[in-house]
Amino acid sequence: MEIPFVVTPRKDTGLFNSKIAIWLFLASEVMLFGGLFSAYVFLRIGADYPWPERTLPVLPGLLNTFILIASSVTVVFAWAALKMRNWRQFQIFMGATVLCAAVFMVFKAIEYNVKFHHQAARLADYSMVEGHIDYERNHSEGDHGHGGEKLKGVDGDYIEANRHRFEIDEMSFDLARYHKPWVEMTLAEAEAQGVEIKLASDIDLNRAGIAETDPSKAAKEGEPLSFDLLARIRKAHLDNRAFNSQKRTAFLREAWAIKKKEIKDEDLLGEAAFASEFPKAFEMSPEDKDKAYARWKAGMRARMATDVSIASVKMSDGSSVDVTLEGKSFSDLELPESPSLTFKTSKPLLVRYKSHDVITDYKVGNETIALRDGTGLKGKYADSAMHFHYVDGIDFQHLVMIAEEKNQDPLVAIENSWLVKENEIVAELWEKHQKALGLLEEKLAEIGKEPTEKDRYRMGWQEIAYYMETPLDQVALTASNAPPKVTMKLKEHFMGPDYDVRKFPHINVPREQVALDSKFTPKWNTYYAIYFTITGLHGLHVIGGAIVLGYYLFCGRAMYLSNPEWLANRVEVGGLFWHFVDLVWIFAFPIFYLM
Amino acid sequence: MSATATADDHGHHDDHHDPGFIKKYIFSTDHKMIGLQYGITAGLFLLFGFFLMMVMRWSIAFPHEPLPGWMTMFFSENWQARWLQDGKVTGDTYNMFGAMHGTIMVFLGVVPLGFGAFGNFVTPLQIGAPDMAFPKLNMMSYWIYLAGGLLMCFSFFMESGAAKSGWTNYSPLSGIADAQVVNQWLAGQTQWLLGLVLLITSSLLGSVNFITTIINLRARGMTWMRMPFFVWAMLVTGFLLLLAFPPLEAAGIMQLMDRVTGSSFFMPSGLYTKAEGLLEISGGGSPLLFQHLFWFLGHPEVYVLLLPAIACVAEIIPANTRKPLWGYKGMVYGVIVLGFLSFIVWAHHMYLTGMGPLVSTFFQTTTVLISIPSVILLTSLIISLWGGSVRFTPAMIWACAFLPMFGIGGLTGLPLAFNLVGLHLHDTYYVIGHFHYVVAPGILFGLFAGVYHWYPKITGRYMSKFLSHLHFWPSLICMNLIFFPMLTQGMAGFHRRWYNGGDAYLAKTPDSANVFGTTVAEHIDLNILMSYAAWFMALAQVPFLINIVISKFAGKKVESDNPWNATTLEWATPTPPGHGNFITEPVVYRGPYEYSRPDHDEDFLPQWEEPKRTSEEPQEEEAPATK
Repeated sequence: MEIPFVVTPRKDTGLFNSKIAIWLFLASEVMLFGGLFSAYVFLRIGADYPWPERTLPVLPGLLNTFILIASSVTVVFAWAALKMRNWRQFQIFMGATVLCAAVFMVFKAIEYNVKFHHQAARLADYSMVEGHIDYERNHSEGDHGHGGEKLKGVDGDYIEANRHRFEIDEMSFDLARYHKPWVEMTLAEAEAQGVEIKLASDIDLNRAGIAETDPSKAAKEGEPLSFDLLARIRKAHLDNRAFNSQKRTAFLREAWAIKKKEIKDEDLLGEAAFASEFPKAFEMSPEDKDKAYARWKAGMRARMATDVSIASVKMSDGSSVDVTLEGKSFSDLELPESPSLTFKTSKPLLVRYKSHDVITDYKVGNETIALRDGTGLKGKYADSAMHFHYVDGIDFQHLVMIAEEKNQDPLVAIENSWLVKENEIVAELWEKHQKALGLLEEKLAEIGKEPTEKDRYRMGWQEIAYYMETPLDQVALTASNAPPKVTMKLKEHFMGPDYDVRKFPHINVPREQVALDSKFTPKWNTYYAIYFTITGLHGLHVIGGAIVLGYYLFCGRAMYLSNPEWLANRVEVGGLFWHFVDLVWIFAFPIFYLM
Repeated sequence: MSATATADDHGHHDDHHDPGFIKKYIFSTDHKMIGLQYGITAGLFLLFGFFLMMVMRWSIAFPHEPLPGWMTMFFSENWQARWLQDGKVTGDTYNMFGAMHGTIMVFLGVVPLGFGAFGNFVTPLQIGAPDMAFPKLNMMSYWIYLAGGLLMCFSFFMESGAAKSGWTNYSPLSGIADAQVVNQWLAGQTQWLLGLVLLITSSLLGSVNFITTIINLRARGMTWMRMPFFVWAMLVTGFLLLLAFPPLEAAGIMQLMDRVTGSSFFMPSGLYTKAEGLLEISGGGSPLLFQHLFWFLGHPEVYVLLLPAIACVAEIIPANTRKPLWGYKGMVYGVIVLGFLSFIVWAHHMYLTGMGPLVSTFFQTTTVLISIPSVILLTSLIISLWGGSVRFTPAMIWACAFLPMFGIGGLTGLPLAFNLVGLHLHDTYYVIGHFHYVVAPGILFGLFAGVYHWYPKITGRYMSKFLSHLHFWPSLICMNLIFFPMLTQGMAGFHRRWYNGGDAYLAKTPDSANVFGTTVAEHIDLNILMSYAAWFMALAQVPFLINIVISKFAGKKVESDNPWNATTLEWATPTPPGHGNFITEPVVYRGPYEYSRPDHDEDFLPQWEEPKRTSEEPQEEEAPATK
């Protein structure tokens, strides 16, 4: 059997199969990215925070745009070369296309990587701090608190300073759902710190006479924490839980059987019972009476449901019947359960968790915290401040937005913010910024313009680096009357500020000031969320397309020799997809980088 | 019948290279085998989804009583200990079953059965193609669908359980569900999304394949207006899947980001939960955005469910009334218009969100408009019965029942189209009754009809008539007993998500001043009737399952390749059709429903039959094949 029109077009439609298919596929892709771009519009219009405008470095994005456009041209040349049966030329142009894709992805990877290592925090008063917390270079002054410390975790990775640190005396695990890696981490920390974690009290999930006594269901006080112990008691608990659940079900069924027998024997839902309890219904019209009867019956049934329990059934005459199976009641059979298991530490053990994993809201002096997997910790908070070694962004736009909603003076609100009030260095920067802003306002007023919100309330890394190296009296606008900032070097366009050269302030943010902390990842705000989603999905399309085109390039020779037209068709179809990938970027670039 | 041959002569004409068991039955690229795979898988999913509902119906009818043994025997003891309380269904469990019932029925059951199974099996045959345009892609669609479905269903066995936020998966409810799970990839709610992305990928590949096949692989002479209505319906369905699903995929990806990366696409600022306090998210997202994206798929999806069923009925009625489909052209244009309109009605699911009167009015208008093509389709089918010499074959009784059942489903939808009425009835059992009338006695009846109709082509044997009646009548009665009371309850204000069937709201005394409570009390007994009907409904499916298995071996053998004396091309193939379908390339000479032509002796004139040179000449050999 052969499928027709794989290589040659059908006469009346003028198309071969895969060409129809790719256009259909692209139509669905348009809908996919259409959905995402509409989401962008929807989120931006509905944003209840200052939407970050023009925050991404334009140069790498622009380069990438040109690279993709170039590759769209070379892929057409590659196809034309195939049509002209020129294999060598095809190789060159297709090679160039795939190379362009690779370069594009390298730039993309650099851009992503810089973001993934860039920390931000939204403070309780809605001011924002951006910078780095997990490494420090080239600062030997030693004026950075315990900064500069690279906390090395037991698993060998560097733990960022951004953790809730807790010194625990006691911890209890939810046996049904404790998170294994965390237990592992705790065990390793305990070993590293020389702390012993021991079972707090005896536990025995056996019950003589009901089930066979099994030593694995019991543990003595002081037994050290181990996976084995947890798994053992977990199994015992789950087994007992299952046993109890079966018994409870059986007893409840029995209880209902008793009640139902009574309902039937005594005709508790019958008209007679209705008449005795609700005589006035018999003065109503037959129709109303029927309705009242229906209502009464439903209500009666619901009331009788409360008479039934696993232990006993209340009868209509007020007496109570114990529910038994083979002469035993449920409490005679119930096996002990232990949903959690508590351990004590020999001395306070320092543990660290991401703020996302700590369920309990931070309070100074908090003594118990709950983790996401149900683990409960008792002890006290150790220093959990966020140590920003390099602050390369301070943003008051959101704070100002909130202040204006409350009819407060933005400048007063900023003066009163924790950052300006409690940090001399920020106050100094802010003073310089005010001076620069004043100069800018004057200049702009000459041409009837005003500084933007971003000019006013945000200090980016170039501004901060400038203020750090410029005394107050020397702050001045640039030659072109732009706000003062250091000029970016080529490398900085791609990699962000060069921390070996630039100077940035150091700020310790106490945990109670932090409302939200995040890297520059989708979590930070909806702008980054949609940016990463669209560009990430686009990146996957680039990779997918490059793999297919690369396949034609490296594995297409055999087909070229046997059926070159078929290969040309394939390249044409792949090329159409490639154009689409290019087109998506042409939409993505302006909305994320320029607008 | 020059182009046909009997199964004995040519049934294995293309099997000179026997592909082996695995390639033939499991990793098959033959559209017919893939269709069967889709059909069997979807059938199993439907049974599973139905089972979930039977458990839920127990909780609704008898909220205080433990599940009966014939239900709990399907659950392990550990599972019962985790999800049942003293054997009773808890709210969480009910939500989980409800969400998965909807998901399974829509995404894993009816769509794969209608589009995947019938579409795959019948479409290439009806257009005279040897197979789908991309057989391997076709196979891939099936396997991705299976992977997605299993992924969703396996989450029942995880500590977190399966998804619990309704089949619509609205944020922020679904965004915070299963938040207690540290590794979010192992949460039921996340796996639902992963499964969904796989299902969308599958249907995307499928729809590209279908449309390409229909455009490019039609046999010689198969012009657009000679295509059976079935093929038209599949074409429109293909476009709906192609264009409506991607926005949901976008929404699914964004929700996945919300869950896994902690982003806030659909999470508003200042979200506070009992378990976690103020959530540690950036906020600033829009729950409404999810609803828009969801229903942009969700509404066309309704027609994706419906069109294959209507398509089956539209084939069965002409074949069994022995007259042409009435208004074939009208139906074709109707279904195209329906397809277009279905893209601009989605927000009628969202009247309650307060989108504003202007938006509501727009969607109200388009929603009322879309009833026009729907009515054209249904009316044409009903008129097709007029004056026909109806043969009540098993397929035909189901097709006939489809018409009024779908009619009730459609008509009960009209009030919901109106903004004000929609506000009152939103999320009540009225809505449930309405769309179940469309989907269960409507669409499923149409698909049952399809099974009975094409079974002889698939196996070479008829299904038992007796068992089919034993299947049909109880099903018809039970369906109505299940869904009609829902309309009443809904108007009385019963909410669709009461896991205890309203028990918590009813007034306990007959003269209570609680107006809502007394209304609930008056209607709550219907729960018991509906639940029993649902369980009997399950029993009524047993004859069908027996029939479908037994008939394969013991059914009456078909006398010819065209047992129903139908006119469309699938009946020109050997029985069962071999790989490649047709023995000689079929040529089409006329439209699809040439029944009872006065100039022709037999009461049907197949599409593939060469025109006689002199039609006046009396024919002597064959008697008309009517029965």
